[in-house]
Amino acid sequence: MNKLNIEPVHQDKVKIDVVDNAEGLMAKFVGDIDMEDPSIVLDPLFEKIHQGMVAKKIPFVVADFNGLTFLNSSGIKAIAKWIMKLAMLPPDQKYQIRIAHNKAITWQVTSLPTLTFLVPGAVKVE
Amino acid sequence: MSKPDGYIEIRFGPRWKYISPARVFIQNFIAIALSDQAKADAIAMATSELLENAVKYGASEDTHCIVQAFPETGVIQASVTNHATEQGAREVQALYNKIMSGDPLEAYIVQMREAATRTDGKSQLGLARIRYETSADVKLDVTPDHKVTITIIVK
Repeated sequence: MNKLNIEPVHQDKVKIDVVDNAEGLMAKFVGDIDMEDPSIVLDPLFEKIHQGMVAKKIPFVVADFNGLTFLNSSGIKAIAKWIMKLAMLPPDQKYQIRIAHNKAITWQVTSLPTLTFLVPGAVKVE
Repeated sequence: MSKPDGYIEIRFGPRWKYISPARVFIQNFIAIALSDQAKADAIAMATSELLENAVKYGASEDTHCIVQAFPETGVIQASVTNHATEQGAREVQALYNKIMSGDPLEAYIVQMREAATRTDGKSQLGLARIRYETSADVKLDVTPDHKVTITIIVK
């Protein structure tokens, strides 16, 4: 279990594990997110991470998409919604989302960098 | 455009579970036709987005997809057709007009920001994503009986 006590998620073709790492927290995505409404899975998960990051003043969370082979635009919407929450935070509560991506997966190379434009400084693609 | 060297035609009832195998099939077809994995991935993503919209918002039990490969020029043309309601057809026309105007990246970011605040369960990101990520020419055709065809041409 991680420092925020967030349970792993396993639904349809995706598995998401939240684990502690040296800098803070990591959410690891494996599989495909191509269900009709991924917000049912992703919105509550991102809300728990967001609330925990703010409450415990954790500076970084890694969103590790290396093992995610497909993400539909409804899934991108859920991630965008999470990122937009950072725009509402006062400076002393801000944290950064670091996106780890797989350069061998085409959609990751084209989709993920666009997320950095949503809230300046909130997201870094590594 | 010259005659395609290969094409596939997929027709299925509006069931979400058929989209994923259709995407994989299209991806494999393009990878074999063009020997270009990155293009195959991009077009598979794009057609998957179009099929998702067709199944989500279709008004009839039929979704029709044609993918044509032109290996001499490396061009791929893919189109997805379904029947929409009158209101659905109007909405897709309005969304198309909005997304096709202006810079593709700007339009995508605007749509992402709007999607994040939507409460109607829609994302309306698919077309903007396709346009930006594939650099495709995107065409929309809506007939008087609300048959909607979206065609992408990727060079």
